[in-house]
Amino acid sequence: MMPQQLLELLQSRFGDKLQSSVLALDEVTIEVSTDDLIEVCTALQSEAELDFSQLIDLCGVDYSTYGLSEWATEDATSEGFSRGLDKTLPLQKKWDKPRFASVIHLLSLEHNTRLRVRTFAGEDLIIPSLIEVWNCANWYERESFDLFGILYEGHTDLRRILTDYGFVGHPFRKDFPMIGNVEMRYDATEKACIYEPVSIEQRVNIPRVIRNDSRPTEPTANEVEKD
Amino acid sequence: MGIEGKLNEGFITTNVDNLVNWARTGSMWPMTFGLACCAVEMMQAGAPRYDLDRFGIIFRPSPRQSDLMIVAGTLTNKMAPALRRVYDQMAEPRWVLSMGSCANGGGYYHYSYSVVRGCDRVVPVDVYIPGCPPTAEALLYGIFQLQHKIRRTNTIARKKDVEEAIS
Repeated sequence: MMPQQLLELLQSRFGDKLQSSVLALDEVTIEVSTDDLIEVCTALQSEAELDFSQLIDLCGVDYSTYGLSEWATEDATSEGFSRGLDKTLPLQKKWDKPRFASVIHLLSLEHNTRLRVRTFAGEDLIIPSLIEVWNCANWYERESFDLFGILYEGHTDLRRILTDYGFVGHPFRKDFPMIGNVEMRYDATEKACIYEPVSIEQRVNIPRVIRNDSRPTEPTANEVEKD
Repeated sequence: MGIEGKLNEGFITTNVDNLVNWARTGSMWPMTFGLACCAVEMMQAGAPRYDLDRFGIIFRPSPRQSDLMIVAGTLTNKMAPALRRVYDQMAEPRWVLSMGSCANGGGYYHYSYSVVRGCDRVVPVDVYIPGCPPTAEALLYGIFQLQHKIRRTNTIARKKDVEEAIS
């Protein structure tokens, strides 16, 4: 099945349940609300014409700094991109959707098609868990909870999976400092590894750059200035 | 030594310190503590091409049987208590060899929220091997440096010598 066919099939099958459905770069992306997620996913998994039997990946996304770059890379010179040279790019927010989303990637082995489903979490950060539909979502949802703090309702064992025991915070959130809040050392008097407030300054090692080809389609402030 | 030539062939004379250091440097059994990509280079050093066995270096799966710990890779906050526990379980005398940038000072992950900025924050380190990752030759060289360090130690220190050294 071609992506275009899949898109039309999904639109006719789900109709208004799709908040958006986009075909870009030969990949189909649909957005559904948290209320419809279980119903849509169950249909995607079980119905013969869709038959997305495999959950490839589930991840969280934090859109709070979407479209913002710390450095401009407008010019491509003979030495390559003007990487990290222009720090004057004004920060401008162009995101009116909720901050956190949970994204799943599906594969239909039967039809050889792939699909991306995005669900935005509301203010309460609750998204229904998909472990009843695809059992392998279990650890992915734990990872997403650990790193972004998204709460998966109905998950049987929503614990942290990657970060340290007793870790505080969700490190993949954009407002989490990269150096963290605590650091560890062994204390000879206590004979134990202890945590202390972090002692070093945060530093931008590699400037966060967004190249032209992956920027938001609306003109950025920098481009408007040039016109 | 006053007994040179008085014994038949097949005898040598030495002092106990040299004998002890010869034994220690000739059979350093490292605790296998591979944490990341450096561990692959450590395996390479142990494999037939570089063959650590010919130096009497045999990897041990237990800290109770080891006298050397090669910290090969990124030490995370989550792993640090386990590393310290393994170190505490090793019998004296024991040495620690920090292998690679991550173990030396955090390296690539120095500014990370989840990585210990150098394994010397957790265990005392004898030799630091630079590199990311160090080659198997570099690891060998580091081990030789540690052997030199061990040869300089006196297990049986005479009181008179110590007093002279202090004054």
